[in-house]
Amino acid sequence: MYEDSHSGTSAVASAGATTHCIVIAGLGGEPDYEQRFGAWAQELDLTLKAAPDSRVETLFGEKARRESVRAAFESVAKEAKAEDALVVILIGHGTFDGNEYKINLPGPDLTATELGEYLNRVRAGRQLVVNATSASGGSVHALLRQNRTVITATKAGTEKNATVFARYWIEALRDAGADTDKNEVISALEAFKFAEAKTKQFYETNKRLATEHPMLDGGDTAGPMNAGRFALLRIGSIQKAASDPAKRELLAKREQLEGDIDRLKFQKAAMPTDEYKKQLQALLLELARTQAEIDK
Amino acid sequence: MKWVFVFLSIAPAALAAGPVDSCEILERHGKRPEAKSCYQKLTGNSNPAERAEGFWGLREYDRANEQFKLAIGQQEKNADVRVRWGRLFLERFNKSDAQQLFKEALDLDAKHAGATLGLALLASDGYEQQAVEFAQKALELDPKLLEAQELLAQLALEDNNEPKAIEEADKAMKMSPEALDAMAVRMTIDLSNDKKSSEWESRIKAINPVYGEAWGLAGHILVLNRRYVEGIAYYRKALELDPDLQRVRAELGVNLMRLGEEKEAREQLERAYDAGYKNALTANSLTLMDSYKNFVTFKTPETIVRLHKKEADLLRPYIESELKRAIATYNEKYKVKLTKPVQVEVYPDHEDFAVRTLGMPGLGALGVTFGTVVAMDSPSGRRPGTFHWASTLWHELSHVYVLTATNHRVPRWFTEGMAVHEETAVSRDWGDRLDPTAITAIRDKKLLPVAQLDRGFIRPSYPNQVIVSYFQAGRICDFIKEKWGYQKLLDMMQSFAQSKETAEVIETHFKMKPEEFDAQFMTWLNAQVKDTVEKYPEWRKRMKELQGAASSKNNDEVIKLAPDVIAMYREFVERDSAYEVLAEAYGAKGDKAAALKVLTEYSAAGGRNPTTLKKLATLQEEAGKPKDAVKTLERLLFVYPMEEEVHRHLGDLYLAQNSTDGAIREYGAVVASKPIDQAASHYNLARALQTAKRLDDAKEQLLLALEAAPGFKPAQKLLLELSR
Repeated sequence: MYEDSHSGTSAVASAGATTHCIVIAGLGGEPDYEQRFGAWAQELDLTLKAAPDSRVETLFGEKARRESVRAAFESVAKEAKAEDALVVILIGHGTFDGNEYKINLPGPDLTATELGEYLNRVRAGRQLVVNATSASGGSVHALLRQNRTVITATKAGTEKNATVFARYWIEALRDAGADTDKNEVISALEAFKFAEAKTKQFYETNKRLATEHPMLDGGDTAGPMNAGRFALLRIGSIQKAASDPAKRELLAKREQLEGDIDRLKFQKAAMPTDEYKKQLQALLLELARTQAEIDK
Repeated sequence: MKWVFVFLSIAPAALAAGPVDSCEILERHGKRPEAKSCYQKLTGNSNPAERAEGFWGLREYDRANEQFKLAIGQQEKNADVRVRWGRLFLERFNKSDAQQLFKEALDLDAKHAGATLGLALLASDGYEQQAVEFAQKALELDPKLLEAQELLAQLALEDNNEPKAIEEADKAMKMSPEALDAMAVRMTIDLSNDKKSSEWESRIKAINPVYGEAWGLAGHILVLNRRYVEGIAYYRKALELDPDLQRVRAELGVNLMRLGEEKEAREQLERAYDAGYKNALTANSLTLMDSYKNFVTFKTPETIVRLHKKEADLLRPYIESELKRAIATYNEKYKVKLTKPVQVEVYPDHEDFAVRTLGMPGLGALGVTFGTVVAMDSPSGRRPGTFHWASTLWHELSHVYVLTATNHRVPRWFTEGMAVHEETAVSRDWGDRLDPTAITAIRDKKLLPVAQLDRGFIRPSYPNQVIVSYFQAGRICDFIKEKWGYQKLLDMMQSFAQSKETAEVIETHFKMKPEEFDAQFMTWLNAQVKDTVEKYPEWRKRMKELQGAASSKNNDEVIKLAPDVIAMYREFVERDSAYEVLAEAYGAKGDKAAALKVLTEYSAAGGRNPTTLKKLATLQEEAGKPKDAVKTLERLLFVYPMEEEVHRHLGDLYLAQNSTDGAIREYGAVVASKPIDQAASHYNLARALQTAKRLDDAKEQLLLALEAAPGFKPAQKLLLELSR
């Protein structure tokens, strides 16, 4: 569990911080895709705006021109503080010529290099880019940098077919099942794992050769840890207890127990099964009792 | 694999100088060492075509190939050499090059009998109707072409037309007193009719005491007739006489595998493979057996179920439950008790399943039965909605009983007809619908007379005839049951068990000639389908109009057109059926009640689109009919049980209705699906177990839920509750 949601971190941003979101849906090229990309962008817009501490700019259809994108980033760059978070989601058709990635927009396309420059101008200390377009794997190199998590629908720029990853990314933000650690926060890692699994399932179920393989930070080993720390969406009300001084002791105890459980799980393979279960049950019961006290 | 008598093929005209003939004569008489020396000598001949024959006789195929290549280089216009080279390719599993060479030979000489025979052999390998035509043509071109005559005898035997097979074999024996393969046909007929001995056996041995090919043919024909145990016995006899018959060894291995005798199957297949017999069937069968390590087997006294590890936990309860239900039903219906457990193998990869049917004509594309072993596709192996796995399982189980009851002496049409009949006997919405292929066949009067219906399975004469034959056979059994009762089908089964032919069985049990039976059947069938068949062209036209209206979202037009389209062809429930289009239009207009009514009809008519069935379940719930929703989702599980969401929702519905067994099964299926949200899946199962008062099991599941997500509050609360 990477997300420290019990210590006061806002589901989307730290207390007083803002999460700036920019959603861009590029050209569909044909009516079916045009409609699909627009609908996805609007769904994301609604979902992200539901968070009280978020500011969302969504560009799709004719509005998603390169100059509008630049303007949106400039606006965020002016407002964003270091403690803020930035989430950028790209939907549509992408291309990669072996050197440069581009997302197809009305008018001139936007390159990954340009996008990287826009991102660099935003001071927000935690950044997440979800490039759900075809060939998005080709954008990783230009986008990746410290404190920025980059999720792509494809593992390389050579995966050129239209993708379905965006659809499942949206589903992840709406499905409580994506919150696998049940801390009432969906992290970027949880959303990624959810969408990745659903994408894989889509191709298997439809008996189609998988033409997209989602990636996190281009496969960097630190990717999951960084994405796990990126709280994307709050789906419950977990913050109340943190501000109550009377419960600090209980909170500390809970933290201690959670640590003990993590350590026990780490030793599982080396322990007799019965002994492991016995210890686990004792710790879980104690944790449950502690949580019940906190919730009183 | 087709029986191709390479070594007994006639000496080609171009090589008729003598040396090749001499070797073949020795071979034909079973003088193997002498034949070998003879072939050895040929390899030193100045003529590369003869050298090729020499190497071929010594089973040095690569060298034979090289020499044929040389020969063609020297004799570009020689059709004979091309034919012989083609025959080498045919023997060495390269049908496309063989075909090319036969065609080249015919380009050089359009009346080349050997090349035409080559095409006949190629067609016969795929059980194509053209095989007979080519063989007849080859004989017209060369009336002395013994091999073509013998092939005609064999083809008639494969078609279960014994009188014709005898006639053709006798013609061959008039052409040559040493027509060993014609004798083999006659011997096979005797053996398949359960004669304890055949005069042809001694006649064959008098000519060639080690002619294992004859018993290989007997094995092949018996296997084609699903008499696997006897077929295997004859393959063994063939190998006793001639251990070098690798084709027979491979066939033995494959059929042992079909019967579940895997250890020996592997040994035989590996021996054949190591000896250079590397055709697709042998190689693929070995690959399939290698993959068995990825399967798990569950045994009970009555059943053996083999499932792929990745889906075993999920599918096992459903497969075992249906298997048990089918066995109980069939024990009662067929009045037969199986003496061996039924083995069911479920393949998630269709290619693995396809290996099981390779080389067998007319077998199902979804499931196949070998004695008491059933192999079938997994529901995960097909696109959702295209495969009713439970229906297929019951179909195959019916074969197990019919084959057992008749000791495998049953015509293909009857066992398939019974199996198709049993599918809809379980539930009207199971089985196959009257599809456009069958409609067209009825319209074009292409249904076969019952006495010849087997031909539609084994040697179809038009595309989809196998599918039409399944439909026809099933309807014939429906007809018999409806008019004379189910017992009549069992009586027929008894007659088939006594090796009686279809015509005789019809006359015995219905006191009429097969022609009269056919006429009565058609009258009965027409009464049911005439309207649909007649309106089919109009339906197609209207369906296009309906699709046009649907694509342009003209819901009023859809609502106006669709009811008539549905009425014209109620059984059409394939993707984008009029039912679904109409329900969509009603939905768009907010008329949920009308949409519910249409989709209820769709489901009753056998509609299987998972997305549509889920919509129906939602509408039923919204209409306050959760029990109907449960039935719809249960129906969906027989079509596609792989969706975690469906199991979870069905679990919720069951739990809300206090149906704990159902809830436990469904939440258990969610856990078995290895979902992303593991904590919730274990928690839900714990809730169902708690309701069923299985508190220890519930606690176990809670620990698993909390191990995955220690802070999962609902699970914490339940754990505290259970631990008080």
